[in-house]
Amino acid sequence: MADDNRTVLGACPHDCPDTCSMVITVKDGKVASVAGNPDHPFTDGRLCVKVNHYEERVHSPDRVLYPMKRTGPKGTGQFARISWQEALDTIGTKWKAIIAESGPTAILPYSYLGTQGTLNGLNAGDPFFNKMGATISERTFCDSGACTGYIMTLGPTAGMDPESLQYSKYIVLWACNPMSTNTHMWPFIAEAQKRGAKVVVIDPARTRSAQAADWHIAVKPGTDAALAMGMANVIIAEGLVDKEYVDAYTTGYDELAQRAAEYTPEKVSSITGVSVDDIRKLAREYAKSQPSAIRIGVAIERNGSGGQAVRALSCLPALVGAWRKPGGGILQLPLWAFPINWGNLMRPEWVQPGTPVLNQWLLGRVLTGEQPDAPGIRSLFVYNANPMVVAPEQDKIRKGLEREDLFTVVSEHFLTDTARYADIVLPATTQAEQFDLMFSWGHLYMTMNLPWIAPIGESVPNTELFRRLAKTMGFDDPQFSYTDEELAERSYDWTAPTLQGITLDRLKREGWARLNVPAPDQYAPHAAGGFPTPSGKVELKASMAAGGNFVLPVFRQGSNEFQDGTPVDPLPGWTKPPAGDGLPFALLSPKSHAFLNSGYGNLRRQQAHAGEQHVVINAADAAARGIGDGATITVFNSTGAFQAVAKLSDEVPTGVLQSPMGYWPGAGGSVNAVNTARFGDLGRAPSFSDTRVNVRAGA
Amino acid sequence: MTHVVTDACERCRYTECVAVCPVDCFHADAARLYIDPDVCIDCGACIPACPVHAIVDAFDLTAEQERWLAVNAEMCTSLPLITEQEAALPTADARRAELGF
Ligand code: SF4
Ligand code: SF4
Ligand code: SF4
Repeated sequence: MADDNRTVLGACPHDCPDTCSMVITVKDGKVASVAGNPDHPFTDGRLCVKVNHYEERVHSPDRVLYPMKRTGPKGTGQFARISWQEALDTIGTKWKAIIAESGPTAILPYSYLGTQGTLNGLNAGDPFFNKMGATISERTFCDSGACTGYIMTLGPTAGMDPESLQYSKYIVLWACNPMSTNTHMWPFIAEAQKRGAKVVVIDPARTRSAQAADWHIAVKPGTDAALAMGMANVIIAEGLVDKEYVDAYTTGYDELAQRAAEYTPEKVSSITGVSVDDIRKLAREYAKSQPSAIRIGVAIERNGSGGQAVRALSCLPALVGAWRKPGGGILQLPLWAFPINWGNLMRPEWVQPGTPVLNQWLLGRVLTGEQPDAPGIRSLFVYNANPMVVAPEQDKIRKGLEREDLFTVVSEHFLTDTARYADIVLPATTQAEQFDLMFSWGHLYMTMNLPWIAPIGESVPNTELFRRLAKTMGFDDPQFSYTDEELAERSYDWTAPTLQGITLDRLKREGWARLNVPAPDQYAPHAAGGFPTPSGKVELKASMAAGGNFVLPVFRQGSNEFQDGTPVDPLPGWTKPPAGDGLPFALLSPKSHAFLNSGYGNLRRQQAHAGEQHVVINAADAAARGIGDGATITVFNSTGAFQAVAKLSDEVPTGVLQSPMGYWPGAGGSVNAVNTARFGDLGRAPSFSDTRVNVRAGA
Repeated sequence: MTHVVTDACERCRYTECVAVCPVDCFHADAARLYIDPDVCIDCGACIPACPVHAIVDAFDLTAEQERWLAVNAEMCTSLPLITEQEAALPTADARRAELGF
């Protein structure tokens, strides 16, 4: 290993829209440092506070490097090293017995985007569990609600190129704080600002991005749909509609206009807390400053009207003709530009009719037996996920994981709060030790990750994990013997126009490639309509609403059975949220600046950057309760409670608290102790921004 | 937390850091630069850009360097923002040689 000194081109594996191209320096066989690739137009030579020292993650003394079995009570973290053979034999024997006694649906996989590579990410285990017939896991952690609303309106289109934002005249960042969670997009916004564009941030909190914007509109939590409809109202009432665009490329304009008429600025002002003048000004400026752009963040969906907010926002660019020019339109999820062979990734044809589907937000209720109609779960298999941190109703999850009769297997880098409850822990490779090919949900580049170093200890990539499990279970389909390169070949339609000129070999050589789409100053995909909806137009009134509420099959292992199906209003609008026990505060739990979901919550550098677990509270609210800056407070509601340090700031208005997600609870709690598993209106998004709580001084 | 300009910047002021910073967080006086801790997003881009290794992730500050944390925060409240790269000070090359870079 000495003398093994190299530079490798890699890709950041994280659930972040930026999917950075990385330059890795290997010294003596170890990862010495990582840096952003200066040649990549989006990465532009920078990484971020989470990943700047990825080598500390790879070579952490706390890594799980060997399979382990539990030797003490669940949750106490007592484990002993075993061989891979023993681990696989234990899992195989246990699962075969469970399948014989209770059927395969007593086994539940649980995963998301701990790594988001095409091979090791979202769908890594789907072929295996579909073959087995296990209960299907519906993964609506992020953007599912927004996707449902967006697709009902615009279809699965990539929408705007984020790099085109530099040509925008007006940029609305809605429920989006790129300074913390989409940092490589900011320079394109700053460039537009320099060229005279106005940047508006719509967020209940004065975020870092709001501070850098020209205008911050502090909307009340959960009222975005009303504000968006208020904009439509003004645009229509004041004749700011691009009639020609609307006539040619939309359906349902008259119905939308009728609905929007209900959202007068006065009514919207009383719902949102935004003044009548500001609503009018926002609508006028947005309509008149073409090309105008809306960037929605993942927080938009997190309330009872979040899906309809996305519907309303997806209508606006068509109303004002923003799609006509590069730099105009809406940016939600450019993932749809990538010609992914989802079928090959998931193997949905193996799903037997009648296989039950469980939504992953409900884990606590499912494991404690409180979820009606759920199959009894006797074994849980967790990979790419840490539900003890990211899922709501934390106390229930803990209680469920304590069940002696639950056989839990967790594949991980570290002994997380979830892994501590496992019967078997399996060692997973980091991005340093695996091959993967990255799509992006924040730009239009493919990025290759060649392994930087050999796997440490006995860790394996998810691809190899499921090859081993398939062998253990006796699944001999060729799917389970494909090499990583074969899987990569099968994952994309390499003949698609967007991949012309791009091959695996080229990606291996060059590290990244922009999809074969027009350059950012030319890219106006819907200048002449061409929306991939049933009508081919922007569906201001959504025809797909007739089928009821649904989750995209990519978030449910390819299954389309047992969809939510609750009726959906084909026209966007705002619904009053439930009263929330009359508690005085709305609690927001955004992603942390220094953590990546639950990732890095255990690493000292990122902990130092994130600061102690805290709650931002307005000074007036704090004073009324005798809470001083830095004091320990308890946040509580009927779901649970957690302790944190009070941070007095006018970044939040009175009546609103903010506590970032990602802290590891250990024996205590973190913000998901008080969040509930109630769904938002569309796509089974969470409703965390509707969470109501109270606070008291002290522990 | 933040990134911090230490004393190595003094009499040098190459301002390469300003050219790579994705946000507006550098403030300057005649002698050197400071980082506004409330604006810095900790991207780390300025660290390799600085020819005299003056910038440090606050997490990596030595006990001796620790004092620069408060100095940076304090100076940024009154000094003007610098957003474009400027010419290095005439003393820069000598200073760089003195620091051994
Ligand atoms: S987490 Fe996001 S911004 Fe940070 S390195 Fe990874 S892709 Fe880039
Ligand atoms: S690059 Fe280094 S020496 Fe130059 S101004 Fe920035 S901190 Fe100072
Ligand atoms: S770390 Fe990044 S944001 Fe902070 S000063 Fe350096 S370049 Fe600017």
